[in-house]
Amino acid sequence: MLWKAQSRRSDWTGQAAVKRRRTFRACFSGWPSDEVVKSRSAVSLWRFKRKTSKITPPEPHITECISRDQATFQCWWSPGNFHNLSSPGALRLFYINSLASEWKECPKYVHPNRECFFDNNHTSIWIPYCMQLRGQNNVTYYNEEDCFRVENIVRPDPPVSLNWTLLNISPSGLNYDVMVNWEAPPSADVKTGWMRIEYEIQYRAGNTTKWDALEMQRQTQQTIFGLHVGKEYEVHIRCRMRSFVRFGEFSDPIFIQVISSKGSTFPLTLVLVFGITGVLILVMLIVSSQQRRLMMILLPPVPAPKIKGIDPELLKKGKLDDLNFSSTGGGLGGPPTYATDFYQDELWVEFIEVDAEDAGTGEKEDNQGSDTQRLLDVPQPISHHMNIGFSNAVSFPDSDSGRASCYDPDVPDQDTLMATLLPGQPEDGEVKTSPAPERLLIRTQTAGPQTWFNTDFYAQVSNVMPTGGVVLSPGQQLRIQESTSGTEEEPQQGKEHKGSEDSEEEKEKEEQFQLLVVDPEGGRQAAESNTPQMFAPPSSPIPGEGYQTILPQPAETEPAATAEDGQSPYILPDSPQSQVFARVADYTVVQELNSQHSLLLNPPPRQSPPACRPQHPLKALPSMPVGYITPDLLGSLSP
Amino acid sequence: MMHGTIRSVSCVWVVWVCLFFCSSVTMVGAAPICANAQGGCHVLSLANLFDRVIQHSARTHGISNNLHTEFEQYFMPSKNHIGRVSRNCHTSSILTPNGKDNAQRMAREELTEVILKLLVAWRDPLWHFHQSMAHHHDFNNFSSNKALEMSNMVHELHKGVEKVAEKMQVLGIISNTVSSLVSPEALLASDSSEWRPMRDYDLLYCFRRDSNKVQNYLKILKCRIIPEHGC
Repeated sequence: MLWKAQSRRSDWTGQAAVKRRRTFRACFSGWPSDEVVKSRSAVSLWRFKRKTSKITPPEPHITECISRDQATFQCWWSPGNFHNLSSPGALRLFYINSLASEWKECPKYVHPNRECFFDNNHTSIWIPYCMQLRGQNNVTYYNEEDCFRVENIVRPDPPVSLNWTLLNISPSGLNYDVMVNWEAPPSADVKTGWMRIEYEIQYRAGNTTKWDALEMQRQTQQTIFGLHVGKEYEVHIRCRMRSFVRFGEFSDPIFIQVISSKGSTFPLTLVLVFGITGVLILVMLIVSSQQRRLMMILLPPVPAPKIKGIDPELLKKGKLDDLNFSSTGGGLGGPPTYATDFYQDELWVEFIEVDAEDAGTGEKEDNQGSDTQRLLDVPQPISHHMNIGFSNAVSFPDSDSGRASCYDPDVPDQDTLMATLLPGQPEDGEVKTSPAPERLLIRTQTAGPQTWFNTDFYAQVSNVMPTGGVVLSPGQQLRIQESTSGTEEEPQQGKEHKGSEDSEEEKEKEEQFQLLVVDPEGGRQAAESNTPQMFAPPSSPIPGEGYQTILPQPAETEPAATAEDGQSPYILPDSPQSQVFARVADYTVVQELNSQHSLLLNPPPRQSPPACRPQHPLKALPSMPVGYITPDLLGSLSP
Repeated sequence: MMHGTIRSVSCVWVVWVCLFFCSSVTMVGAAPICANAQGGCHVLSLANLFDRVIQHSARTHGISNNLHTEFEQYFMPSKNHIGRVSRNCHTSSILTPNGKDNAQRMAREELTEVILKLLVAWRDPLWHFHQSMAHHHDFNNFSSNKALEMSNMVHELHKGVEKVAEKMQVLGIISNTVSSLVSPEALLASDSSEWRPMRDYDLLYCFRRDSNKVQNYLKILKCRIIPEHGC
């Protein structure tokens, strides 16, 4: 075979090329004869364009030659329109390459497929092969196009073991990434480096027809980004030799789908968040609009000391002398003990009712009352209810308020009694209470309905009871009720001076009250009465009584009582509006004070126990046999 | 005063520029890659050297493939015509293994020598190919640049494979029979003017085949010697 390489030309038009090819072939003795060439020239011209169309020629021809592993290859043929040659064996395949000098027949036929298989021994790479079909009678069907080099016809098998793993899901839960991995086809020898393969992944959503191709990948894994949750994706892969153009077949597809698990919760979370935000905004609006009221409810102001009839400012300043006390006899030289801090204006001031049976029940605004009550904790007579109540209706007409009556109509006054400073509380003979904090203790007499009345600082004693009680001047409507507690106390105390406690109550503001100082019982210590003898407004009005009774102090003074400060069993709060002295007709001279600062209008009989002796004899008094105790004298009456 | 200031500033600037360039120059040549741990050069592992060389050969083959495709599009209607094949190639005289078994059976030294021979044989022809392409207006600049690139790459590839052979000899993987000098066959192939009459297209065709051979042989060699990664 002699080849004459032609000189290089730069003129490569199609027709010239065809001409040159023909010249080559003519020189090559081993190649098909010119007749065959000529018969094929039309076809070759017809196949001028590189991209040959797929129109099958009518004569028998080689369909395709493929190598899978670059070590073996196969060729298929077709009889074309010559159906008489379709039977196996009618057509035979011959090949030639540059190593061989003549045409050789196919080493191995696979007749059912019309296939010829070239094994390793018959395959050489990088050398050209040509194929030929021969029929009976040595008719040869040859096409010059059927020449190739094996490395150019390599189409690798599809990769195997294609699977996927989920990488992550986006925070919104709508997208996710997957990692697809596979293995090289087993037929391709990549381990020895004989074949270098690159892969191409294609995927599509389940309902589309267009495949999306990813970059050629040399590794055996690839990430697919941005898949949509809920959609089903189809993925397949193919491969080819690197730097070559022919791809192998696609692998079987796999299906990828991720079902959203939190899709339903996502809007729910949004709804919750927005709902809570809206509620918060609403609450804040309400709070800001009702700020004052809320502040009052949530953080009630600390009650300031406020005594009816007493200017709180004076209290603060401690100018007790200025306070308008009346007939305190018992010596209010010391700082007066105020039984209660009453608030007439504040609505929240309520009665404190302490049920004897169940101690401690009832609401109280001030702890002192119930504490004292509890401390005293006297076994009550069954019939008695110890009521410690504070109410705005209690006690004293506030000079500021202008109310004649301190009683709140809503307050169940019938059952609640004011705390009283009465030292003669029958119940607590033994119990001593610490006086100082018990300023607000108002012990109510529970012996029967007892009413109290607002009292003034000034009171004119109009009469003296045979029992020793003192009746104050009747300038006001007084409601007095005899207290039966005094009788009860008598057996307990055994004191001579026992007075029934009179409690008068007065509700109406317009009524002028006089303070009833009651220290009825002997033994009754001013302990409980250390609370200043301030009277809570009586729960029930007692009509018609125009006088008050002042009970004599018990002769005995209990030590604790003496220790107390401000033991005066009574206090006469000032009631400014009360015109106590307006219509006073009679009065009595206060002779002396007993130990408990009680006012003794009649000097006690000598047979009375000396304990009844007031500790504070009114020495100064005799000098003024008749007349009231004026405030300036009051100061001299200090114990 | 002005002159003094200007002069000082210019001096400083010149010095700075010199320093900058010197440093850049030193940086460029700071650590040449060498196969042996001689003074002042980076020592790369054999695996690294192989990877570089194989990548380079793959790129070379890719470019040759592209150029060949272009040629076929414009000038050659048919493909794989046996008439233009292999006998024309001037490297046919170099004995190369034509199959996987043959390649795997071949000794490492022989395989290395074959590669080197091939690369040597193509140095001149490619250079001339580029020249002819540049001179003819039929080819666009893109193709001409590719041809030049191809030529340069073969040159570099040859150097690279030489380094690899050197390293292998140092490591004792192959015997010292592989000489860096060009073998007589290769010399013959390159000096001979067999390639001169070849058409451009045939040159491309042959080079495409031979670059594939080189790539294949290098990969086989690498996977035989260092089968760890990338095989």
